[in-house]
Amino acid sequence: MAGQSDPHLSLFSPSEVEFVAEDEIVEIVPNIRMEALNMICGDFGPFFPQIASKVPLWLAVALKRRGKCTIRPPEWMTVERLTQVLDAERESPREFQPLPFHYIEISKLLFDHARDDISDAYLVRSLIEDIRDVRFHKVETGLETISGRTHAVKLKNLSAMEVNIVRPFMVRTLQAFYKHDSPQMIQQADNTGSSRSTPVTDRGPRRDLRHR
Amino acid sequence: MYGRRASQLLKELDSCEPGQLVVFNSDVFDQVVRECNEHNAQFQSLIRKMVDQNLDIETTRNEDHYGAAIHHLSLLRNKRCLIAYMYNRAETIQSFRWKLGPVLPHEIQEKLHFSEKEYFKNHSAAIKSYISEMDIDLTVDMVPPKDPYIQVRVLEDIGEVSLGDHSISLTKNSLHFLRRTDAEQFISQGLMEEFLE
Amino acid sequence: MSSWDDEDTASAAATTDVELLKRAWRNEKAAPEILRFDSPLVSRAREQIQLLEETLEDFTDNGVDDLVVSLYQMDLDRALFLLRSYLRLRLQKIEKYMIHISKSDDLMSRLSLQEQRFAKSCTEIMEKHLEQSVLSKLPYGYDSVTRQSLSSTEDDMVPEPQLDTFVFCKTKSDVGAFQLDDIGEEIVDLVADDLYVLRYKSIKGLVENGRIDLI
Repeated sequence: MAGQSDPHLSLFSPSEVEFVAEDEIVEIVPNIRMEALNMICGDFGPFFPQIASKVPLWLAVALKRRGKCTIRPPEWMTVERLTQVLDAERESPREFQPLPFHYIEISKLLFDHARDDISDAYLVRSLIEDIRDVRFHKVETGLETISGRTHAVKLKNLSAMEVNIVRPFMVRTLQAFYKHDSPQMIQQADNTGSSRSTPVTDRGPRRDLRHR
Repeated sequence: MYGRRASQLLKELDSCEPGQLVVFNSDVFDQVVRECNEHNAQFQSLIRKMVDQNLDIETTRNEDHYGAAIHHLSLLRNKRCLIAYMYNRAETIQSFRWKLGPVLPHEIQEKLHFSEKEYFKNHSAAIKSYISEMDIDLTVDMVPPKDPYIQVRVLEDIGEVSLGDHSISLTKNSLHFLRRTDAEQFISQGLMEEFLE
Repeated sequence: MSSWDDEDTASAAATTDVELLKRAWRNEKAAPEILRFDSPLVSRAREQIQLLEETLEDFTDNGVDDLVVSLYQMDLDRALFLLRSYLRLRLQKIEKYMIHISKSDDLMSRLSLQEQRFAKSCTEIMEKHLEQSVLSKLPYGYDSVTRQSLSSTEDDMVPEPQLDTFVFCKTKSDVGAFQLDDIGEEIVDLVADDLYVLRYKSIKGLVENGRIDLI
């Protein structure tokens, strides 16, 4: 059951994160004519050859795999834009650059199924990987700076996959400081929320003994 | 040392892989239950002793009081461990219904206390009841759906194969776009593989 | 700052029941406690699913193009997965906190009728199991399933979700200055579309009235 999510790990499995991302809208250029699709998830089309149309990513990939369209890579997926983003990421150690919430999943799906529609696909891919690395490193260093009781953390522009990966570490760190201000107590805080917790909140001994 | 046997039960829970069970430890379990009853007997006799001496149980703080307190607290700890043991195992048993279905494989059945076997059956029935009330099967569709068609590469000459209302020629190294369900039988025999562009 | 998403399609998509179901599913996944069952949404989603199932049957009977059938099938599969996942997730949460939920009128009122029946059955079954295997063997005064002993002044043996766990969230529109604690020492300015990590307990109300999404 590889794709199933484990609540004790990252809440959403990678395939669940991808599933959500597949509803993102992208532009396709069909090479067929097809009537409008009135689906539960929305109305799309009608489709005419060579006329661009907006559809959810899962639909775009399905059509592409069947040779019925090409997919227009989103505006942000070009060498120029991504190079700008990468430079900006490197220059601002405490901020994340704005990127689509599902940039990782969208780019992965496009690389897997529509690589020929991406100009300089290899370069684009390697830029995205670099961006991911820089951002992830920022999250890690950010975690280290959390000290003392923090009641809120702002993670502006963090993406879906990044949230999912960092979630267990962030929650545990914040929880540890929230429960007990002193760092030595972190071990104990580890027991809360674990699958092995006993079903008792240990309220301590009661001394009221009564004769039966 | 009081509570040591009970700790053994908890250690056992801890040492197990999450989502798995070890054989129900009847020996240690029964010993802990016996300890509980011994503690209670001791507790009762100490309290009776204080009553016989006309001491106010609520307020007197002598060695018998503290002795009784220790027995009471030890009993409580044992109870918490016993319940934790059963309850945590029950949670794992619940997960079996979702992961393995309404019938447990023999290897798992062997590890269960008789009450646990009954628990599984009854809990499964509760789930089944909900499913039939709602008229929607919740034990399928555990992972997000994918395209029902996949791209495959044929690994060995299979020849003409009829799929539904049409037939295709599965020659070595040819690529095809097939229904996942149709391809599965060939893939599992190593005659085909899924092909990602 | 330029927006990366198309505003129009985003707002149009936000009103479909699938989008609402997806949001309910995500909130339920991320929230430590069970949330209110969205009965009208589930009914509507089921109706649409059933309609599509019937349509697909018609299509195959009338020899509609394979391609179109495949695409509608995928739409159906996706909707069904969301619905099943949502319902299953809730059942599993009920399993986890069955005694706690059954004892609370407020929590029970968040459940659908079928879920309430399930919660009650689960609890009876669990209590019977614990009674039979453990409690009946313990001395008088120590045989309650919810209390350690007669000297407990409250139910001290019932597993409860941790409401002060930290969750990731985003608001759709500006909420402005929001107080996180009881004393007024912890104030945070919640800006639209920014991502925050906050204690669930503090924002419970905002989740309930749909102003904040858990992600």
